[in-house]
Amino acid sequence: MLLQVSGLEVAYGPVRAVRGVDLEVRQGEIRAILGANGAGKSSIIRAIMGLVRPRGGTVAFGGQALHKLLPHKVNEWGIAWVPEGRQVFSTLTVHENLLMGAFGRRNGQATQARQEQIMDMFPRLRERRTQLAGSLSGGEQQMLAIGRALMSNPRLLLMDEPSLGLAPKVVQSLFDLAREIRAGGISILMAEQNARQALRVADYAYLLEVGEIRGGGSAGEMEASETIRRVYLGG
Amino acid sequence: MEQFVQQLVNGIMAGSTYAVVALGFGLVFSVMRVVNLAHPEIFMIGAYVAFVVITGLKVPGQGLGVLAAVALFVGVLLVAMLATGVAGLVLERLVIRPTRGTYILTPFIATAGVSIALQNTAQRLFGPDPVRVPSVIPPHTFMLSGVRVTSMQLTTFLTAVAIMLALRYYVHSTRWGRATRAVAEKPDVAAACGVNVNLVSQLTVSIASIMAGAAGVALGLLYTSAAPFMGLLFGLKSFICMLVAGNRHIEAIMAVGLLLGVVEAMVTGYVSSNLRDAVAFALLLAVLFFRPQGLFGSYEV
Repeated sequence: MLLQVSGLEVAYGPVRAVRGVDLEVRQGEIRAILGANGAGKSSIIRAIMGLVRPRGGTVAFGGQALHKLLPHKVNEWGIAWVPEGRQVFSTLTVHENLLMGAFGRRNGQATQARQEQIMDMFPRLRERRTQLAGSLSGGEQQMLAIGRALMSNPRLLLMDEPSLGLAPKVVQSLFDLAREIRAGGISILMAEQNARQALRVADYAYLLEVGEIRGGGSAGEMEASETIRRVYLGG
Repeated sequence: MEQFVQQLVNGIMAGSTYAVVALGFGLVFSVMRVVNLAHPEIFMIGAYVAFVVITGLKVPGQGLGVLAAVALFVGVLLVAMLATGVAGLVLERLVIRPTRGTYILTPFIATAGVSIALQNTAQRLFGPDPVRVPSVIPPHTFMLSGVRVTSMQLTTFLTAVAIMLALRYYVHSTRWGRATRAVAEKPDVAAACGVNVNLVSQLTVSIASIMAGAAGVALGLLYTSAAPFMGLLFGLKSFICMLVAGNRHIEAIMAVGLLLGVVEAMVTGYVSSNLRDAVAFALLLAVLFFRPQGLFGSYEV
C-alpha cells in the first residue's frame, strides 16, 4: 500500500471540510476522488501534501507518517503536487519552472537528464524553454505544471482538478497522459469534477460529498451504478 | 550645464545608497509580504559598527596608503555585514516569523517596536548626538571631464554597485535565488517543490540586512557621522522609493533610488538645500497619488 489516509479531518475554523475520510492508493494505480465543487477534494489533496495541518487522522506513505510534515519534506518523501489552476511560476521561465520542480534533488546532472526527458514528453515546452511561464496558453501551462511535478521523480502524483478550464481536446490528451505516467511506474491520486473522463483512466474512484466518502469502487463498478450515473455522469 | 552634470553625478552617487536600502525593503516585502520597520535601524547598526571598529583600531586620521585604506574599508564592511547579517537572522526568527500570517499589521508593529528599541539602545550606548566616524579613505578629489568626484563618493558608489550586482546575480542565476523568486510568487507551490520556505525567509531577511549594513558603513564614512536616528529619514525615503518602484523588478527599485538621489542633488544645487527633503517627499507622494501601484509594477497584497 503506497498511500494510506485514515480518518482524515480537515477544518478551517469552525468549518469541517473533510470529515473522517479513509482512502488509499496502491503502487501503480490511478485513483480518483470525484465530487462537486466544494466537496472537500482539494482539502484532502492539500492535507496529504502538508499544506494544511489536519485536525485529525493520519496520512501514511510507504509506511512513513506524513501528516505532521511540512510540504518540502512531503516532497522529499516522493510526493509531487499539480495544483488546481496550474499555478506555474509566471515570472520564471519554462526552464526555471522545471528546475524548481527538482529543487529537492540536489544532483545537477540527474536534473539535467530528467529535464531532457520531460521536454521529450512535452515538445511544446522545449520550444518555449526560455519564455516566461505566464505567457503560455492554458494547456501549455498544464503541461508545464505536470512536467514540473514529474521533475522530482515522485512515486505519487497528486493532481487537483487537472481538467479545469481546459478545452475538451486538451482534456482528452491530459487523461491519456495520465495513463502514460502510470505506465511509467508513478501512481496518481486525482481530484476531479469531470467524472466521465476520470473514470476512463482511473482504476478506482471515491465519491466525496460534503467532506465525507459516500462510496467507492472500481471504475467499472462506478460506471455501472445507477445512482452514480444519474448524479455524476448525467445519465 | 556643468553645474547640471555635477549635480547629476552627485545625485547618482548619493542615490545609490537609497537604492541599496530600498532593495532590502523590497526583497523582504516581496518574498514575505512583511514590511520590516527595523530595516533602517539595521542600516544604523552598520554605521555604528564602522564607528566602533575604526575608533577601536585607533586608525590614524591621515597618512594611510591607498591599499591599506581599501583593505581597512573592506574589513570594516565585512565586519558590519556579519553583524547585521546575524541581526537579521535573529530578527527573522524571534520577531518576524512568530508574527507572520495572522493579522497583516502584526509584523509591522512588532518590527516597529524593535526599531524603537534599537534606536534607544544606540542612544544609551553612544549618546544622542552624532558621533564622528573617521573616514579611512584618503581624501582626494578626482576631476573627470570637468566633474568633481571625491574618493569617498566613489567608494560609496562602487560599494553600492557591487552589492546591487551581487544581489541581481543571486536572484537571477542561483538555485536559492530562483527559489526566492518562486516563494515570492507562490509560496505554497514552492514548498511543494521541495523549498524550505522558512529557510528562504531567513535567508532573505539576512541578505536584506547585510545590504543595509553595508549601506550604513558607506554612508557613515561618507558623512563621517553616525547617529541613533539616522535611519529614520533615510529609511522613510528608501521605503517610499520601494513603493514608487513597484513590486516587479529589482532594476526598478535601483532606478528609483538613483532618481531620488538625482532629484535631491538638483534641488540642493539649484534651489536650496533646505527644500531638499520637502521636494523629495512631495515628488514621491505625487507619484504614488497618481499611480498607487508603483511606476513599474503592481502590488498584490
